[in-house]
Amino acid sequence: MFKKLLISMLFLVPFSVQSADIPITGNVQSRCVITTDTPGVYGNPNAYTLTTASADGGVQPIVRYDVTLANAYYAQITTPTSFAQSPSLSDTVTWTGSTEVSSISDATNMGSYETNKTTFGQTTQYDLTATGSTWFKSSSTATYGGNKAFPGGTYTANVEAICVAK
Amino acid sequence: MKKLYALILLLFSTSAFAHDMVPTYPELRPSYLDGVLVTDLELFNKRNDVEYYEIAVFDEYWNPVPFVTSYKILKLSYLDRIKFSVYIRSKDKDRATYICTKSRIRGESGPSTIISSMICSKLKKDY
Repeated sequence: MFKKLLISMLFLVPFSVQSADIPITGNVQSRCVITTDTPGVYGNPNAYTLTTASADGGVQPIVRYDVTLANAYYAQITTPTSFAQSPSLSDTVTWTGSTEVSSISDATNMGSYETNKTTFGQTTQYDLTATGSTWFKSSSTATYGGNKAFPGGTYTANVEAICVAK
Repeated sequence: MKKLYALILLLFSTSAFAHDMVPTYPELRPSYLDGVLVTDLELFNKRNDVEYYEIAVFDEYWNPVPFVTSYKILKLSYLDRIKFSVYIRSKDKDRATYICTKSRIRGESGPSTIISSMICSKLKKDY
């Protein structure tokens, strides 16, 4: 009698554990997410130039903005104007750079982003008027003064991607 | 179609290398200190190349505004989430406009560009 009772209890206990609920809670908020899709690489087509141009062995940095609220954010992307890391440089470096829309998730509502962009200095600003994802591609070229050769070493420059709430 | 797109966006947004901060429009409220207002934000680090984020407060012309937090530079491991409070003096409440977090990048080896990210929330002004 006792054995039967024990066996029936053993059956009941595991079932009671399996029926426990584990709640998953979430909170949806409007947001702008910046994703570094492709970090860039400088190619070195000649001794005095570093460039992200693919024809010269470089890779253009690509950054993605995901926006879940329309007409609420600006994307500002600034191409480098100095090296974050480099060997000691005795001459000036001339910088050029630009940013353009590389891809969009909503052709209807984002199609005008590129034509409506504003540029000031090395910074390009886009008005993110639609929800969805936008990929921006930047190019950067550094030319060493007087066509001198860049000294050997590691060169790193910083592309700044900013998302500002309107 | 919109639901499908939202799902795709959600899936995409879980990939690596992203910087995420909410809310977009935080609101200042009185703190336990006289003459000091506070607001709360949340930062999520989905960038596996970044461990540190710097907090800054600016006015509408991007001039710095004084503020206090527990840490001005937050150490945040990959896929970690942190809630933090920003304290601003009541006398600066009209001036303070943006609360930003900026990624602090480590140097890389090899000739490369690195992408620093900064997200700025805008303080609600209807208090």
